[in-house]
Formats: sequence, C-alpha cells, structure tokens
Amino acid sequence: MRTFLILFLKELRSFFLSPLAYVLLALFTFLNGWLFASMVNAMRLRVSARSLIYNLFESGWFWMGFFILFPLITMRLFAEEKKMGTIEGLLTAPVRTSEVVLAKYLATVVVYVIIVLPVFLFFPIFQMVTGEEAAFQSGALWGSALGILLIGFFNVAMGTLASALTSNQLIAAMLTFVFVMLHYFLGFIHNFGIVPGSVWSDSLTYFSTKEHMQSLTEGLIDSRPIVYYLSSSVVLLSLTHHVLESRKWRV
Amino acid sequence: MDAISFEVAKGEIVGFLGPNGAGKSTTLRMLTCFLSASEGTAKVAGFDIYDDSIEVRRRVGYMPENVPLYPDMRVVEYLRFRARIKGLGFRETKRAVSEAMDICSLSEVDKKMISTLSKGYKQRVGLADALVNKPDLLILDEPTNGLDPNQIRQSRELIKRLGERHTILISTHILSEVEMTCGRVIIIDRGEIKASDTPQNLIRRLRKPGAIMLEMSGDAEKAKLKIGGLVGVKEVRQIDGRTDWATFSIATDPHVDVREDIFDLAQKEKWKIRELASRTASLEDAFVDLVQKAPSSQKAGPQEAEKDESNPVESDT
Repeated sequence: MRTFLILFLKELRSFFLSPLAYVLLALFTFLNGWLFASMVNAMRLRVSARSLIYNLFESGWFWMGFFILFPLITMRLFAEEKKMGTIEGLLTAPVRTSEVVLAKYLATVVVYVIIVLPVFLFFPIFQMVTGEEAAFQSGALWGSALGILLIGFFNVAMGTLASALTSNQLIAAMLTFVFVMLHYFLGFIHNFGIVPGSVWSDSLTYFSTKEHMQSLTEGLIDSRPIVYYLSSSVVLLSLTHHVLESRKWRV
Repeated sequence: MDAISFEVAKGEIVGFLGPNGAGKSTTLRMLTCFLSASEGTAKVAGFDIYDDSIEVRRRVGYMPENVPLYPDMRVVEYLRFRARIKGLGFRETKRAVSEAMDICSLSEVDKKMISTLSKGYKQRVGLADALVNKPDLLILDEPTNGLDPNQIRQSRELIKRLGERHTILISTHILSEVEMTCGRVIIIDRGEIKASDTPQNLIRRLRKPGAIMLEMSGDAEKAKLKIGGLVGVKEVRQIDGRTDWATFSIATDPHVDVREDIFDLAQKEKWKIRELASRTASLEDAFVDLVQKAPSSQKAGPQEAEKDESNPVESDT
C-alpha cells in the first residue's frame, strides 16, 4: 500500500509537471464548451424531445474528443519507460508489478476525471446564468457522470494494456484509438450491413459504449453496464500485469 | 546463456568481463530479477531470485547499462523517489539521499533537472541510486561506459572506495578497469565462463612470450642473421627499414631476456642503438586470445565454492 501510494503520487506528479495534462484540460474544455454552446443554440432554434444532457452526450462531436483523449493520456505509461529503459530500474526495485500497474492506472484515471470534470460544471453554470429551472435533471446528470467515469475506467485500462504491449508510444496510441472508437461504433453496427434485430447485431450493440450511455443519460441507472465496465477493466489490467511479467516466463 | 555457475563472496569486488554480446547484461538482469533463466537459479544473500524476488531486490543495488533515469525529475527528487520505493522511511530517506549524494559528489547539482546533466553526472546519479538503501550487493552494468578518461578514473576510485562497504559485481569490456579495481575476474564469452581468477594470476597464466623491440643503424641483413643466432631467440622480424635505421621485432622463448646479449653484440659490431625495449603482453592480449578461441575449446568447469558461508551471490543459471 505504501509503495503503491509513492508510485501513484509520482505518476500523478509527472502528469502535472509536463504540459500534457494542462494542454489537454484546456483544449478539451474549450471544445466541449463550444459544443455545449452550439447545442443550446440548436435547441433554441428547433424543439427537441430530448434533454440537453442527452443531446450533448449523444453527439458524435463529444466522442471525437474522447477517441483522442484516451490514447493521449495512456500512451506513455509503460511505452515511455520501456523506451527509456527506466522500466528496468523500476521493476528491479522491491516493488510488485501489480502495484506499478495499479499506480499508473489509477493516476491516469484521476487525470482523466480532472480533464472531463469541467463538462459537468457546464450544466449548473448554465442554470445559474439563465435561471432556467429545467436545464437539467440531477438524475440524468449523475447518470451520465457515472457513465463517463465507467467508460474512463474501461478505456484507461485498455490504454494501459496497449502501452505495456509496445515500447513505441505511437503504436500504443493507435491501438487505444482504434479500440475506443470501435467500442463506441459497435452501436452503429446495423449500419454496416448486419441485419438489425439479428443475433449478431443485438449482441454487438449490447457491448457498445453508445448504447450504455443512452440509458444512463436518461437517468436510468442500470447495474449491467456497471458490472460490465468494472469487470472488463479488471480483465484488461490483469492482462497488463501478465504482459509485464511475461519477460520472466520460463518455458 | 549456457550453463554458467559462479559465486561471489561477501566483500569481494568481482569483474564480469566479456566482449559485447557475451551475455554479461543478461546474467546481471537475471540476478536482479528482471529476467529469468529457463533453467537453474541463483541466490543473493541466501534468498532465491524466484521464490524471494522482493527480498533479493531489497538487498541489491543495480545500475543498468546506460543508466536510464527520468529526465524530467530533479536529482534530489529522483533519489528520494528511489529511496522511498526501496522501502526507506521518510526520515531515513532524507539522510540516506544526502549521504549518497555526498559519496557520489552530487551535492552541487541536487536541484538540477536530470535531463540537463552531463553523462558523467548522470552516471553518478545512477550510482547514488544503486547505493542509496545501502544494499549488500552492488551490481553495476558497464559503469564507466561513455565517460571521458578523467571521469573514468574518478569513477574507478569511487568504486574502489565503495568496495570497502559493499560486495560489488561489475560488468565491463574494458580490461584496464578490471585490472585496477577488481579482486577477481570472471571472463565469459558466448554464454560460457572462460576463466575465473585474480587479474594477476590471469595475466601470469595467459601471458604470451614477450617480444623485444630494437631500433638500430648498421647492416640490417647481417644484424638479422646475427641476432637470430643468439640463444633463446625464436624469430627476428624486420618491421621498418626505410631509413638508415632498421626496426626489428624479436620474439624470444618465454622467461628469457636477450637484451644484454643484443647490447654486447651491438658493441662488438659497432651498431648504434636508439631503442632496445621489452614489450610484455598485457591482459588485453590474454583476453583476446581467450575469447577468440573456438567455442568449448577451453571451458572452465563450475567454480569451486568460496570459503565464505554468507555468500551474497551464488548463481547457477
């Protein structure tokens, strides 16, 4: 636990000592702020049956940012240490590999939360400024926050695995990018020649991030996505652990 | 790596010598629990590298080849981080880090970013990192690689001083380094141990017959014949004779010195001598000889155990 904390703090510091976290925070907030403003504008011009929250998180623009965000915050985790060789010093110190994996993973999740947090401040700020009572329902806001957090757990775990697989940060980034994007677009699978309503279409859609987010943004908190994202994250992290330990496998 | 087996007793400074690609780093990585061997095991301070990996790592200070460090950390920050993950408490860390910085003379760069340090300083940061938790065993992989001659001399001095407190295993391909710092040398090549002995013994055992250099003026052809006729001379080779001065390399039987005979000869024949010197073979020659031989032509068996019971390293990989 003690070692975990030291590694966790070191990892967190290295995010905030480099400009990366600040640049991402600024750009992500700017992009989503713009998106938020244009959503509000669009809803003013045209009546929408859905809430502002639903529309924002349903928007492809919002997810575009996500596809880029995950690769950028996870690609350096292990790939950089492998490239520089510092992984050797790290893993020959008396620390457990699981502690290293968890420390890096959770530090990145914290960074992720800090980067997406402003998006959730938009709604209360909007309400304060306009005095609009029905700007958002708190159930929907908490639901979508939970969704975004779960997706973060899951995708950061994927990024951690990708980073452990290679010493090339670009390859790690591309792996994560494709994975995050595919996982989201599974929700559109019926557009790609698979018959809607078929077993394939239904089961693939069932895994889609888009699908889970829709019910959560309506304030419907389902336990299935919670279990799905958390257990998948655990699987991905244990795979990461095995990848790192594989250098010590004895045939 | 082939089956190699060696022991290092407490307090020894052992040099691990071999050409590039001989398997030095691989062996050291196994000992530091970074890699594993497909067969066999090793014990450090009595702990098995597989069963008690964490305990082994607590007792080993390792400086990997090329000294990888985090470039975006300050020296003191980095050393504190390393000391902390090696299990030192908060108070201990402060003391241990300033002590390690004193030993490695890093005090004047303590607040500098590691990325701005010169190679020599980086090397010392790596060394300070390795010894910060006062490990029983220091494993240094090519500690003087890439340093300038002055820095090499300094780091040798440092390693010698550290030998008073730690058991040290150094890998290198620089022979003079081993000759100066190590009490014992293990030579490996292509994954096999070729020799294990003190540097002095190795030189004695492996030294080739010496050669004598002679530079003289006079009748070169006649001189060649006359010198060739001396007792103990095996071969006379003229290296250079473009000017009035001829240079000869004279091979002799081992342990025979013919310099006095040559001098007498020169007086008799009225030759003028500019140089008459004996060139002895160095450890380097011995090493090149040993390593270039075909594999398995000279294979040392497992080394017999050292007398010391509390062997910090014992490897059988």
